[in-house]
Order: sequence, then structure tokens, then C-alpha cells
Amino acid sequence: MHRRIFLAGAAAAGFVARAAQAALAPLAIDAPVTINFYNYNLATAGLGADATRKLLREFMEANPKIKVNGVGVPVTGFTARVQADIAARRQVDLVQLAFADLDFAVHSLGAKALEDMIPAEEMKTNFEGIAPNGLKLGMLEGKTYGLAYTFSTPVLFYNADLFRAAGLDPENPPKTWAAVKQAALAIKAKTGKGGLATGILGPSAFDWLFQGVVRSNGGETISRDRKRMTFAEPASVAAVLMLRDLNDSGALVNLETNAAMEAMGAGELGMYLQTSAVQGFIVAAAKGKYELRASTMPSFGDKPVRPNNSGSALFIFASDPVLQRAAWELMKFLTSKRGYTVITSEIGYLPLRTDIVNDPKYLGEWVKEHPLVQPNLQQLAILEPWESMPGPNYRQIVKTMMDAVELSVTGKVDVAATLLAAQQTTQGMLPK
Amino acid sequence: MTTDVATAVLLPDARGVRGLSTSRVRGRDVLGHVVLLLLSFVCLFPVYWMLATSLRPPNAIFDVSLWPGTASLANYRATLEAIPVVQMLFNTLVVSSAVTVIQLVTALLAGYAFACWNFRFDRLVFTLIALTWLVPFQVVMIPNFLLVADLGLLDSLTALIIPHFASALAVMLLAQAMRSFPLEIVEAARIDGAGSWRLLWRVIVPNVTGALASLAILIFISTWNEYFWPLLLSRTAENTVIQIGIQMFMTEQGNQWGPLMAASSMASLPILVFYVVLQRQVVQSFMKSGLR
Amino acid sequence: MRLWRLPLAPWLYLAPAALSFVVWVYAPLGRAAFLSLFEWNMLPDTPIVYVGWANFANVLALPKLWQALGNTVVYMVGLLPLSVLIPFAVALYTQDLPARWRNLYRGMIFVPMIVAPVVAASVWRWLLDPGHGLVNVALKYLGVGPVGFLTDPGIAIWSIIFITGWKLVGFSTLIVSAANAGINPSLIEAARMDGASRLGIVWHVRLPLLSSTALFLVTLSILLGAQWSFSTINVLTNGGPLGSTTNIYYLLWDFGFSSLSVGWSSASAVLLFGGFALLAFLLFRITDRYSFHDN
Repeated sequence: MHRRIFLAGAAAAGFVARAAQAALAPLAIDAPVTINFYNYNLATAGLGADATRKLLREFMEANPKIKVNGVGVPVTGFTARVQADIAARRQVDLVQLAFADLDFAVHSLGAKALEDMIPAEEMKTNFEGIAPNGLKLGMLEGKTYGLAYTFSTPVLFYNADLFRAAGLDPENPPKTWAAVKQAALAIKAKTGKGGLATGILGPSAFDWLFQGVVRSNGGETISRDRKRMTFAEPASVAAVLMLRDLNDSGALVNLETNAAMEAMGAGELGMYLQTSAVQGFIVAAAKGKYELRASTMPSFGDKPVRPNNSGSALFIFASDPVLQRAAWELMKFLTSKRGYTVITSEIGYLPLRTDIVNDPKYLGEWVKEHPLVQPNLQQLAILEPWESMPGPNYRQIVKTMMDAVELSVTGKVDVAATLLAAQQTTQGMLPK
Repeated sequence: MTTDVATAVLLPDARGVRGLSTSRVRGRDVLGHVVLLLLSFVCLFPVYWMLATSLRPPNAIFDVSLWPGTASLANYRATLEAIPVVQMLFNTLVVSSAVTVIQLVTALLAGYAFACWNFRFDRLVFTLIALTWLVPFQVVMIPNFLLVADLGLLDSLTALIIPHFASALAVMLLAQAMRSFPLEIVEAARIDGAGSWRLLWRVIVPNVTGALASLAILIFISTWNEYFWPLLLSRTAENTVIQIGIQMFMTEQGNQWGPLMAASSMASLPILVFYVVLQRQVVQSFMKSGLR
Repeated sequence: MRLWRLPLAPWLYLAPAALSFVVWVYAPLGRAAFLSLFEWNMLPDTPIVYVGWANFANVLALPKLWQALGNTVVYMVGLLPLSVLIPFAVALYTQDLPARWRNLYRGMIFVPMIVAPVVAASVWRWLLDPGHGLVNVALKYLGVGPVGFLTDPGIAIWSIIFITGWKLVGFSTLIVSAANAGINPSLIEAARMDGASRLGIVWHVRLPLLSSTALFLVTLSILLGAQWSFSTINVLTNGGPLGSTTNIYYLLWDFGFSSLSVGWSSASAVLLFGGFALLAFLLFRITDRYSFHDN
């Protein structure tokens, strides 16, 4: 009798195991299939679109059974468009979403976890060569939803000519905020040009740079358990006070993003802290005008600098297992060594796979010719995730927080009080 | 006094009193012209700047010189290579023309109802129609998107046209234009046995061509420059309108100013032509033949 | 006046436009009103959660709300010179010019309308830049220091109003010209026969007949000023600096319509529409009382 129960139990266990495996995507594609890839680089007229099209072409040549429709949607309103298409029951398979949308994508839009679709062995093989903290960028609650695709770190661009004119040494760029302030004031005093501009404020910035600044001072914008807003706590307030001091002393020039990029390109700014994604623009603008250099994000004195990434990751939304497999194949290709080679050298982002950086077959030569990318690569090793805010009100939370930060840095208000008021408002916006 | 009467008798209507040679009039005229020229300068200069920038060589985009120096079509070439400009302009033309015609027709019919009838609830309906203009587009965008998707029209230009079948501005302006129409004519036509349909098209419409022309210009332009709805619907560059094309030069990595200015110059030209052609209709004499 | 016996006739004429408005405006608006009491992310498989007035409370608790309302009043009043006064002056003055000059001036004043709003705003940002913008370069020539047209919290809103108005002058001029052309010339003739001067004709004949157009434009400018300035604000200042250019429309767009949360978006829509509908109702009342038609 025990044996019969045992056999029944074993049979049942086998049945359950097979059923569980049936939930995974099939291991190969048999019949031709078409998937939609939502992408915002495709909606631009330039390198981003060309490089993406090239990658898609190469993928389709290597995978004749999978046809990819590149759906180009402009980046403003991108997430709204994805939401609208899902609501209209359109086929949405692979999407390039900003990291700030991670929580929303998982809990509201229905992004699928890789662990639920792909056999563990295959995932492990594919992730070899990816820096472990790079993998963490797209993880939420222990599962991997997104693979970092077009992303960068904050870089301090600086004008070596202005440095020399101000009596500073371009070989030793400022590494701490205090040094940055001094350098900025020196440039302003001796050359009359702007000292420092940053991409911390401004609507398109959202909160990605701000998080890095706060973390570098030992604070957080949201608690680790994601249940409390913490940007009005002492470490964070101190970071904002530092920025306020930069502003009030005249070291910080408050420019809107486009204006700042153009000013840096025109040689009107000494230093510019911004995503390395704008490097192409500034390099092109600075050519023949001045010597452009780059350094890492400044730290608070001796505290370790803790930057986070900007940019987007690839997410799978397909529900049908066959479409999931097709989307995963595309995701693998786009995040392969070849994929990152194209993305880094032709669009201007970071490679998630650090082993291709010195490999002459991939990025080896390119990196030698573009020394400006070095600080970017250095920071890759210490990169932390850009925290996405939880709940359906995540955008309002970030906007309220950043409004308070803008007021605190460029206005005349009491920093601690302003941040505290905003923290209380945003606390009420978190999911119950 | 006598000079004015003489002028009114001697000179035809439309020419005004500029023929007089009193120094008082000339002084005021000169001032008027100066003010208008100043105003025109302020209006034109930024547009000139856009054109001039589009003609600058690519590495001189940020120059502040007033004249492009060496004019170069490189930006235009870059634009034509980067986006399917001609196709987009064609799409935009189709959509704008269709919307203009349809809105004028629905507004004529609706304005006619308000101008020539008193019916129960007419005030309320008029206000409700006027209020639709206050509804910002983003509010109704998503439900409209879902409706269009349900109708299966998502990948077509039709989707850009159908939500715009009627315009509150058009209804209000035409109702107002028609209300100013003299009643006696209408009465006379009715006594002659004309039905309401014939009266609208044979008698009233030929006499509101001024309002129709100005509305046509405004509707055409507003549809041409529309951005948010086409943005929500755009899937491929070939199937979308020129405004989306222009925005494609504004990327996160910086704006490509040269091609951007070239693209928007190209986008502005058709509207300018449309305006020049139609504006003559806007200022026409009030009475056509047959009316006194 | 009841012209034809069929009382159904006006409704038939009204039908196409009315149908369009119901389907594309009022139905979605009604749906938004309904959804403003819920929290939902619009996806078909997720539940719609009832939250009562929470969305409205959230919107009304926005820190910038009062500032936005105050700025909105500034926008409404500030736009009037550019959207009503100058167009009237231009249309009336050019009416009496020879056709060539008239069309030329009106054409030149109309040109700002042909440029895409985003591009126009970008060019103005360039022109107003404190460093290399031509306006500041010219001011420096005259000895005046560089002005932060878009970066000074006291000035930015006026820059936005100016640019919005700049774009709209042609629109209003066109409407006034059309209305002006619709004035019966025999009335003008009669006035001239009576010996009225040019200014007198304008004051005593044209303006009263154009009063409904004037009130219409004023109403329009007040009700839509906030909306009209939207793309300019979006490109140039994003509501800053320090919220000085944020108006109620922009604020509700920023936190409501452009968000992915249907609750916020719908509550913002209901508040915006409700508020302006009330205002519109009042303004239409006033307009009707003071209008004057040729009949």
C-alpha cells in the first residue's frame, strides 16, 4: 500500500514537474513568428535609429524564422504609448523602457520575469561576462525583469583649456564636491565663463542623477524596503545643502538641459556633470574649439562615490510562450557582445559586458581611440541600480520630490523644511 | 468736411483716403507704417532665423551672424536622407485637407441650425458645443485611442482624421457670420419657395466665404501643426505626419539643429502657400451680385 | 424666427457635429469623470479600485496649486493686449490701406502661425539666451546688461506670454479681418456722408459692429490662454524657474494628463473642465448681453 501511494506520489510529482516546465518558453522556434519591438531610438533621425536597424537586420538574418517589427515611438510619451497599446490589446513583445518605470512595468504593465520563462541553465550561460552589479540594475524583488540595454553613468565633462586658463591642472580633475566648487569659482573668476552645470534638475532628468548624489553622501531617496520616502533625512538634506551652496556661491550655473549641452559644446562652461550619453554631441560640438576631457562623478570628501545608471532596459511583455521565446532570442542578441559593441561605438552608451572592452574583436580598438569613455567604464564596477518608485503614482512622487529639490537648490527657501514637506506629501502617494 | 465728401465721391470704396494730400494725414500714415513695420519685423525675424540657420553649413550652426555667410543645402540634404520628408508632407497634406473640408461642412450645417432657427435647448446645446473646446486633448486621448483601436483603424491616416469631424471654433464662427446675414434676403428666398437646404448652399454660403476662408486657414494650420494625437498613433515613419518627423531630430543625446530647422522650414512652406492663396478670399467685398 | 415648419430641421443640421462631439469629446469626458473616483492603470486585466475622492484630494493638495492659479490669472490678463488689442488695431488700420500693403502687412503678421509651435519655441530660446542670444547681444550694444528672459523668475512668465502672443497675433487678426470685411459698406458710406473722420468711423461704426467679435476673442483668450501657452512652456521653461511660469493647465498636465495613472488624469480633467466651464458660462452671459448684430 505504501508503494502504491509512493508511486502515485512520484507520478504526481512528475506530472507537476512537467506542467511547470510547460510554463517555460519552448526551447526553440519551429514555425515563423513575428514580434513587435517597442524602441525609442528608432523614432529619432540619426545614429540611434541606424544602429538599431542594423542590429535588427543582423538578428533577422541569423534567425530567419523570427521577424521583428521595430515600432519606433518618440521618447516623450513612450511609456504612455506602451500602456495604451497594451490596453488596446495590441501585441507588445519586447520593450525598451526606462529604469524609472521598472516597478510600474512589473506591477502594472505585466512585464515578465526571466526566471519564469527561461530555463535556469540557459540564463546562467547567457549571463556569463556580465558584471554582477550590472545584472542587478533590472532586478526587482529578487527576479530579473530587465536587462540593461542603452544605459550610462554620470560623467564630469570638463574643458581642459579653461582649466589651464584658470590655473588648474587638467591632469588632476576635481574628485570631490569641495574641489569642484573651488575649480568652478576659479574658472568663473579668471575666465568669466560658467563654472559648473549639472543634469540633476530638469524634467527630462527625472531623479536619476539626484539619487546618485544623495547616495554618495550616505543617504537614500527611498528606504530599502521601499515603504518610506527618506529624502528629507539628514544625509540627504546635507547633500542638497551642498548643492544649494554651489548655487548661492555662483559656482553652479542653472541651465536647462539643451542650453547646458550647447553651452558646454560652445566652450562656455568649465565643467558639466551629465549622462555620458550626451558625449557624442559635446565631442562633435567641441571639435576644433577646445580640448574636452572627462572624469568620474565627484564624491563627498572621503565617502565612496555611489553613482547609479541612467537609461533603459529591455523588458519582455509577451504572454504567449512562443512569442516569449522569440522575444528572449532578440533580447539575447541585443545584449550580446556584438549587440553592445554596436550600441557603445555607434550610439554612445555603455556595454554591460565588460569583457568586450579590451577584446580587439569587439571594442578593443574603439576604446583606444575614444579615451573619454574610460571614466564611464571605471564607474561601471561600482554602479548601483536607479531605484524606481513603487505604485501607480510613481511619476507624481518623483515630480514632487524633484520640485522640492529644485526649490531648495535654486530658490531662497529653507532646505530641510521644504524637503520635509515634500517627503510627507510623497509618503501619502506610496501604495498602501 | 467738403474735402472728405469729395474724396468719398471721387475715389472708389476700397482704396481708403490715402489720396488726400493733407500733411496731417500723411504724418499719421507714416507713423502707422512705422508701427506696422516694427510689428512685422518682430513677427518675421524668428522665422527668418529658422530659415537662415537651415541654410548654414553644418559646422556653423551656432553662429550669430545675421546672414548665413556661405549658404549651404547640406542640412536639407541630411533631412531628406534621414526621414521620408516627402511622404510625411503628403500624409500631412491629406489629413489636413480632409479635416478642413469635413469640419467646414459640419460647422456650416451646425451654424446654420443656430443662426436660422430658434429651437428648444438651442442655448444649452450651443454652450455645450462651445465647451468642448475647453476639453484639453490629453484628457480624451486615451479613450479615443482605444475606440480607434476597436474600430481597427490604428495603422491608418483615417485615425488621424476621424476624431476631428467637428470643431467648436468653426461652429461658433460660422454661426456668428450667418447671424449677421440680413433677414430680408432669407425671407425673400423662403417666399420664393426655397427649401432650407437650397437656401443654405445657394444663398448663404456664397456670402460667408470670408468666414469660410479664414476658418479654412485656421483649421488647416491647426491640423498641420498637431502633435500629440499623431504621436500616440505613429508607428512607422512612412505613415505619420511631418510634425513627428521634425521631432525625430530632437533626441536625448542632443538636438540636430541644422536638419531640424531645415525640416521645419520645409514643413512651413505649404501652409504659407495655403494662406497666401486663401487670404484674398478673407477680405472681399460684402455684397455679391444680386444683393443690394 | 421660425422659418420652416419642420421643427426637426435644426436638429438634423446639428446632427453631424453633435454626433462627433458626443463620441469624441463628451463620452470620453464622461468616462473620465467616472474613472476619477477610481484607481486603475487602464489595462484590461487589472482590477479597478474605488478610492472615492482620494484622487481629487491628491490633485488639490499639490504644492504648486495656488501658485499655478495665480499665474493663470496673469496669463489670462497678460495675453489680452497681444490676442485682442493689437490684432484689432492692425486689422482696422490695414483695412483702409491699398490692397497690396494691406495684404502684405497682414501676411507678415500671420507668418508666426505657420511655424510648428515646438520649433518656434526653440528658436526663441536661442534668441533669448543670456549668452549668445541675439536679443541680449543687441541689449549689450545698448549698454543694458544681459537679461535672463527665461531664467529670471520675475521675467520668465512675461517672456512666455510674449512668445505665446507672438504666435497668436495672426490668428486674431485673421478673425477680426474676416469680421471687418463682413460689415455692410453702405453703413460706412452713410457715416462718411455724414462727415465722420476715419477715426470717427472706426469708433462709432466699426467697433460697435465688431463688438461681438471683440468679446468673442476676449472670452477665447481668457479661457484658452493657459492652453495656448502650453507648448511654449513645455519647451522653454517646463513651468520653472521655481514654478513662476506654471499655470493651472500645465500643472494638471504635468501631474495628471501626462501621468500613467488614470485616477490622477481623470480627476485633473474633471477639475480643469469644471473650473473653466463655470468661467465660460459666466463669460458667455456677459458676451450675450453686450453683443450687437447688424440685424
